Amino acid sequence: MATRMIDRNGHRWGAGISAVVLYAGLIFDARWVAPLICAVLGVGVLFGLRYSPLGATYRFVKRTFKLDIPMVPEEETPPRFAQLMGFTFLLVATIGFYSIDSAALGWTLTMLVAALQTLLGATGICVGCEIYLVGKRLSARSAA
Amino acid sequence: MIPRVLVAIGVLAICGAFSIWWRRREGRMVEAHGAFDRRDLGIGFRDKPCATVVEFYGEGCAPCVTVEQRLDKIAETVCDLRVIKLDAGDRLDLADRYNVRRVPTIFVTDPDLHILWRASGVPSEEAIINALLGPEWAGRPNPVESRAAERG
Repeated sequence: MATRMIDRNGHRWGAGISAVVLYAGLIFDARWVAPLICAVLGVGVLFGLRYSPLGATYRFVKRTFKLDIPMVPEEETPPRFAQLMGFTFLLVATIGFYSIDSAALGWTLTMLVAALQTLLGATGICVGCEIYLVGKRLSARSAA
Repeated sequence: MIPRVLVAIGVLAICGAFSIWWRRREGRMVEAHGAFDRRDLGIGFRDKPCATVVEFYGEGCAPCVTVEQRLDKIAETVCDLRVIKLDAGDRLDLADRYNVRRVPTIFVTDPDLHILWRASGVPSEEAIINALLGPEWAGRPNPVESRAAERG
C-alpha cells in the first residue's frame, strides 16, 4: 500500500495556529479553546491530516497570497500520531474543565499541548513523531 | 490576567530553552569507538572503500529522508564513499549492538570499518564532511582533493 504523504509546512502552520489559540485561551480564561482545538485535531486524527481544518487554512493562505513555498513531503503516520496525543490531552483537559471542574488539570494539559505545538510550529521539533518512532521500535522488539 | 500572561511567557521560555538544548545535541558528531563486522554490512573482504557511512533509519521517519539526501549528495563529491542504510526496525540486533537509541543515527568509519564518529538526528553536510576528512585521514589521500585533481 502506498504511503500517504503530507506537507510538513502545513503541519507546522497548523501547530502554530493552534498554539496561538491555546495561549489566547489561557490569557483570557476562555476554557472553550480546549474542546475547540480538541475537535479540530480530532478531524485530522479520524479522517487523515489531508482533511485537517488547520491544514486547510495553510492551503487557503498559500493559494490566496500565491506563496511559492515548495512542499516538504512527510509520511503521514508519525504526525497523525502526534495529533492523536494532542487530541487525547485536550480531551482529558476538557473533562477536567467541564466534568470535574478542575481548572488546574485543564490548563496544565492545555499548556502541555500548547508547548508541544509551539515546538513544532516554531522549530519543527515534533515530539509526538519522535515518540511514535521509539514506540515503533519497541513494538518491533517485542514482536521479535 | 497578569498571572496568566506570566504562565504563558513561562511556557514559551521553557519551549525556547528546550529547543536550544535540542538543537545543540541534534546531529552533533561525537567521537565513537568500536567496529562494524563486514558480514553485517554486506561488504566483501576485498572491498575497501575510502570511508563508510552507516545510517540507521526508521520507516516513516522524515529526518531520515533528509539525512539520506545529504549522504547521497556527499557521496557524489567524496570519491569511493560507501553509504550503507539499515532499517533499525529490521536490524534490532545491530541497533542494540551499536547502541542506536533513535533514528536517524549515522556512523562514520575508516576503511577498516572502525567507527570514528557517530551522530543522532540530522547533522549538517559540513559536519559529515568534516568527520570524513578529519585527522584520521592523515597519511591517506584526501578524497575530495583527489576528486578535484581528477577533474582539474
